[in-house]
Amino acid sequence: MDKKNYFYSIFVRWWFAAKMAMHGILANPLRSALTILGVTIGVTSVVSLMGIGEGARQAVVAQFESLGANVITIKAHHVSAEFDAEYTKELVERVDGLEMATPVIQTKALMRWRRTRGHAEIVGVNNEFPQVRDHGLLAGRFFTSLHVKQRSKVAVLGYNIGIELSGGRNVVGQTLALNGETYRIVGILSQKGAGNAEDIDDKIVIPYTSAQKIAEKRTVEEIWGKAAGKREADLAVVQLSRIIKKDLRMGQSAPTGKGGGPSEKETVMRVSNGEMWVGSKPQSEEESEPPLPEVGEDIVTITNLNQLVKEADNANRVMTLLLGGIAAVSLLVGGLGIMNIMMVAVNERTEEIGVRRALGAKQSDLLLQFILEALYVSIIGSIVGIVTGIWGLKLFENIGFQTAISLKAIRIASVVALTSGLLFGVYPAVSASSVPPVEALRRQ
Amino acid sequence: MAVIKLQDIARSYKVGQVQVMALKKIDLNIEKGEFVSIMGPSGSGKSTLLNVIGCLDRPTAGTYELSGKRVEKLRDGVLADIRNQFIGFVFQRFHLLPRLNALENVQLPLIYRGLVGKERRNRAKKALEMVGLSDRIHHTPSQLSGGQQQRVAIARAISMEPAVILADEPTGSLDSGSSKNIMGVFNQLNREYGITIIQVTHDEEMTAYGDRVIRILDGEIEKIDVVNAS
Ligand SMILES: Nc1ncnc2c1ncn2[C@@H]1O[C@H](COP(=O)(O)OP(=O)(O)OP(=O)(O)O)[C@@H](O)[C@H]1O
Ligand SMILES: [Mg+2]
Repeated sequence: MDKKNYFYSIFVRWWFAAKMAMHGILANPLRSALTILGVTIGVTSVVSLMGIGEGARQAVVAQFESLGANVITIKAHHVSAEFDAEYTKELVERVDGLEMATPVIQTKALMRWRRTRGHAEIVGVNNEFPQVRDHGLLAGRFFTSLHVKQRSKVAVLGYNIGIELSGGRNVVGQTLALNGETYRIVGILSQKGAGNAEDIDDKIVIPYTSAQKIAEKRTVEEIWGKAAGKREADLAVVQLSRIIKKDLRMGQSAPTGKGGGPSEKETVMRVSNGEMWVGSKPQSEEESEPPLPEVGEDIVTITNLNQLVKEADNANRVMTLLLGGIAAVSLLVGGLGIMNIMMVAVNERTEEIGVRRALGAKQSDLLLQFILEALYVSIIGSIVGIVTGIWGLKLFENIGFQTAISLKAIRIASVVALTSGLLFGVYPAVSASSVPPVEALRRQ
Repeated sequence: MAVIKLQDIARSYKVGQVQVMALKKIDLNIEKGEFVSIMGPSGSGKSTLLNVIGCLDRPTAGTYELSGKRVEKLRDGVLADIRNQFIGFVFQRFHLLPRLNALENVQLPLIYRGLVGKERRNRAKKALEMVGLSDRIHHTPSQLSGGQQQRVAIARAISMEPAVILADEPTGSLDSGSSKNIMGVFNQLNREYGITIIQVTHDEEMTAYGDRVIRILDGEIEKIDVVNAS
């Protein structure tokens, strides 16, 4: 036989094996359907459970991303450790990779808007806040450095407050009163979403200089900085902790005259959960009028928000994989179903196997046929499973789950289904092809 | 020239601790174009012998030359090709594939030969014509009588134009009318196309169609009768 004919004949045999495998499936439609159903259930659960896990992951990631990229927060837990606003500029100069920073002061004020009154949460920052926290504006502008310097009475409204006050009309340029003083509204922040970015949507942002006046203090309790990139953020945290620790020792950080500062204390640093603690004991509940910090208590926390994102993401990834793993067990059960049915099919068809062997079929012909038969089941099961899995995700979405059609899940499910079809199909196929022809013909 | 040359062929089975000698020491030559019947009591080793001749089974000892080629030690895959090219099987229980129609059943060995399309169909049709079943090619086995099914099986055996047809009790499940019909077909294939035919039978009447009768007892050739041409 010449080469071309040889390949031709192989092709004919394979085609025929594929056809006979199809006959095998169709010979017993109900049985095949049930086996396919087993695979379908497995694939469906992998796709939908992993989709739910992936959805949860994406939700958490979105929440953390709303905090802004490469943000480092420095927070004082005791009045004695609070920062002078000028210290912000100093840190930006001294720490490489820290591009900008804003002093932050959070306080409350009595708000009056037209004829309504209420309490408002105030965030005092400098003009760099929008860049630091990656925060855009819905309307108007943010206040300028001049506003900050002059302690101007200007306010930028959080999204929800802005929408509430305006009732659809433009409020930029109008005024509201905070603690009896008149503030001009210069802008409205864009939306971050409920629970995101420390609920900035429900707050009013004003220059920190004005906020200091409301809070009646000359320090700020927080500094938010922005690093140039991921790597820079990691490095900046290390540098920051060194600098702040040193400054605290020298009592420079709180030039307020209140208390002697923590300069005498031993401060210990350690890294946990991506946060740098200056201090040695986990932070305790803070009182409104705190006593001087105990020795070893945390007084300043430095947090790299990137790190938080990463960890939350990792935790969710593990959960997603766990869900997928559980679902994969049902896929395995589906695979066992295939094996079971294939064993029965092989047994039923020993006569056919014998006849075909007598007429010239090789072991490889039968091997191929039975493996293909198992593969058909798992392929059909996978396709149907992916479709129902996606459909199931839509159902979950309708009852309020955040889901994501995860390509990874689809890939995992189909690979596992196909390999289990293959694996569990091989044994019956081998046993079919290795029955001696005489035996196969003799058996009834 | 002998198509089949068996020398000192033995075939034994191990059943538990016991060695069962199904064939003891068979020396047999069958000439090209011969029509041979094998007879003997049940369990004497007729099917075993036929399976060895048909390369479905390997002898445990002895040498076997088929068309001048030693085959007793060949690999399974090679034997499959030899069966496909040289041997046509006809079984007592027909062994047609139930889901395929007559034409498709007859095409089976041609598929393993790698033939396609028109050529394959034409050869299958020709084979069905030779057994007189041109009008039943689209019937499935369950739509055919026993005799017709056996004729489809014969068509399947001859579609590859084999050197030898091996038939193990081909009329064992048929009434006498159908049996005669099948024998007529064999006779015709043997006379007109020169195909070598070896059949196992229990029916003395059926041996009348052959040239020789090989009588087997307990795995050995008891004697060989030559049938007088009548
Ligand atoms: N697979 C096997 N294992 C063990 N012994 C076997 C096997 N196949 C055949 N035998 C034995 O070999 C002997 C010959 O069997 P064989 O089938 O060739 O007989 P036979 O002449 O065809 O009989 P029958 O006329 O009933 O078909 C018997 O004694 C049988 O028990
Ligand atoms: Mg027998």
